[in-house]
Amino acid sequence: MSSYINELEKKSIAVIREAKAQFKNLAVLWSTGKDSTTTLWLCKKAFFGKIPFPVIHIDTGCKFPEIYEFRDKIAKEWNFDLIVARNNKAIKEGMSPEKGRFECCTTLKTEALRNLIEEEKFDALILSIRRDEHGIRAKERYFSPRNREFQWDYINQPAEMWDLYVKPAEDYSHMRVHPILHWTELNVWQYVKQEKLPINPLYFAKNGKRYRSLGCKPCTVPVPSNAKTVDEIVEELKKSKTLERAGRSQDKEKAYMMQKLRSLGYM
Amino acid sequence: MNPQKINLVVIGHKDHGKSTLIGRLLYDSNAVPEQKLRQIEDELRRSGKRAFEFAFLLDSLEEERVGGLTIDVMQTPFRTKRRVYTIIDCPGHREFIKNMLTGASQADSAVLVVSAKEGIQDQTKQHAFLVKTLGITQLIVVVNKMDELNYEEGRFREISLELRKVLNSLGFHDVPIIPVSAFYGDNVVERSEKIPWYDGLTMVETLDKFINPLVPPENKPLRGCVQDIYELEKERVVICKIETGTLECGKRVVFCPTSREGVLRRIEMFGEEVRKAGPGHSVGLIVDGVEGIKRGEVVSYPKSPASPFRSFLAELILFSGVNIKNGDVLTIRCGTAEKKCKVQTILEKVDPVNLTLQEKYPNVLKEGDVGKVRFAAVEPICMEKYSEIPQLGRFVVEGKRGTVAAGIVLEVEVLEEPKRAQCAERR
Repeated sequence: MSSYINELEKKSIAVIREAKAQFKNLAVLWSTGKDSTTTLWLCKKAFFGKIPFPVIHIDTGCKFPEIYEFRDKIAKEWNFDLIVARNNKAIKEGMSPEKGRFECCTTLKTEALRNLIEEEKFDALILSIRRDEHGIRAKERYFSPRNREFQWDYINQPAEMWDLYVKPAEDYSHMRVHPILHWTELNVWQYVKQEKLPINPLYFAKNGKRYRSLGCKPCTVPVPSNAKTVDEIVEELKKSKTLERAGRSQDKEKAYMMQKLRSLGYM
Repeated sequence: MNPQKINLVVIGHKDHGKSTLIGRLLYDSNAVPEQKLRQIEDELRRSGKRAFEFAFLLDSLEEERVGGLTIDVMQTPFRTKRRVYTIIDCPGHREFIKNMLTGASQADSAVLVVSAKEGIQDQTKQHAFLVKTLGITQLIVVVNKMDELNYEEGRFREISLELRKVLNSLGFHDVPIIPVSAFYGDNVVERSEKIPWYDGLTMVETLDKFINPLVPPENKPLRGCVQDIYELEKERVVICKIETGTLECGKRVVFCPTSREGVLRRIEMFGEEVRKAGPGHSVGLIVDGVEGIKRGEVVSYPKSPASPFRSFLAELILFSGVNIKNGDVLTIRCGTAEKKCKVQTILEKVDPVNLTLQEKYPNVLKEGDVGKVRFAAVEPICMEKYSEIPQLGRFVVEGKRGTVAAGIVLEVEVLEEPKRAQCAERR
């Protein structure tokens, strides 16, 4: 299996280096989850150990304590420039899922990100979405422009031919770069195992349950599982008949909620 | 052993059942999580539909599900005993050709879907033509919706005959053609009793038997594209993506189009030192004896060097929002090189639907057109004939909104001094 995983890695590293070569002010998004931790590791590899651009963590103020702990530990060990983005105004004004999940995600995540991008003038962001996660994410390109209004014009995306990743000359606010688009959930865990990556303890089963996808505390529930190690997670996923994001409320609330969130600039 | 990996694009006219076919394929191979099936059933109930929509396994946009059409490409893995396929679903509508091409450019083989009821339509021919233009040589055909014609043999034979004519004219010979019903699952994964007159293989069996994985281009001449230069401590590292051939430490290498030679001292990868690296790898090079290398250069061995060209002939496919005239200067991206190239002559325009020559020496190529164009590079560019080194024989034209056209290099020509001298003599 390792040579298959190495092929995935090769492509991802080439994509990350293309992004660095083509954009002046790049940053990478990191939720502390398995996917974006994998991407951070790929960035480390691509730049020989030192990530040469900021790592952004979007803090909604209602993440799990384990997320903050893991974040600060890895940031120190891997020695990168961490930027925490928070929509403090909205948090103070009491934004929460009770006001509507769509509104909450858009305000605390999308808007926090948008404000930061405008402040820091980032022209490209590396994100860790994968095609197999969600139908709407399967429609993405490796280089995907966001328009002046920060939105994803999914109906009218530019073509992306072969591995010739091109940035538009004008009419975009920033580019989204997706280096692990072609990986599956199982591939990520196989890679975590192969590279012995540190991983957030929330993924491991406690009392018959584990988190399979990490989000905010109020909107994420654990799924039944007995997998207590990376090896056990790999074996579990080989047999799994359920969806990765089964524990994530955004995907269930209303039909097409993820599509609408993403068109507005959600991750 | 690693399973063989194949990228398969599913093409054909709108409503001939591409997404339904893939949905059925995934469903019958138990490749769909139960939860996803339940989600789709819920949604169908909400919208008042009764029959299960296999296409919903692929089409995820609201506009796609409500409109019953595919708008953009989507990829999904599918496993057989021997293989891992990545199946690429494409839109069939004429207006989404650029999305179809985005999908097809990732594929090494194709399945053409034709409705038994409607027979060969515009995009049946156009898609087959375009995948051929992109260099895909492996193709199988399924004649779908056999259920709507009571599984009649006569109609299948008739369509097969017409299809063979079209496919032969494009250079696809001895293509397997399979009668299926994606809706009922006949001859997709399971053999069908409703089609007793067909004793050939099912679609999945045909894929496993007729489609071969591409051989990695390790034994071709070395070509690597310089992506970037990193300054690490005291050293300059040339970041290079290897396209073909094998890069080895200690060998003399040449960077083109500047034609500067040096010796490859080390290949750098994070955490490990390697002596050799092959296709697809993006690696760091420490090269002795060359300074000032830039993104866009091509590394090769001096015995079979990448050659800079001033002129080349290409087949060009135009997407939306672009017109090309004689004399236009375009930005072309080939490998990591971005170069200005002038449209010297548009030689001909092909009708991509009727597959005939539409016009000789047209003044302009418009959105959706396909034509042969001779380009003159404003500065030298390293390219290859697509038939020899495909990775450097394809390019895109960059526009204001990104990629606006794609090209395949048919011929590379050294046009310079010798020809001018000839002209002078004649005069």
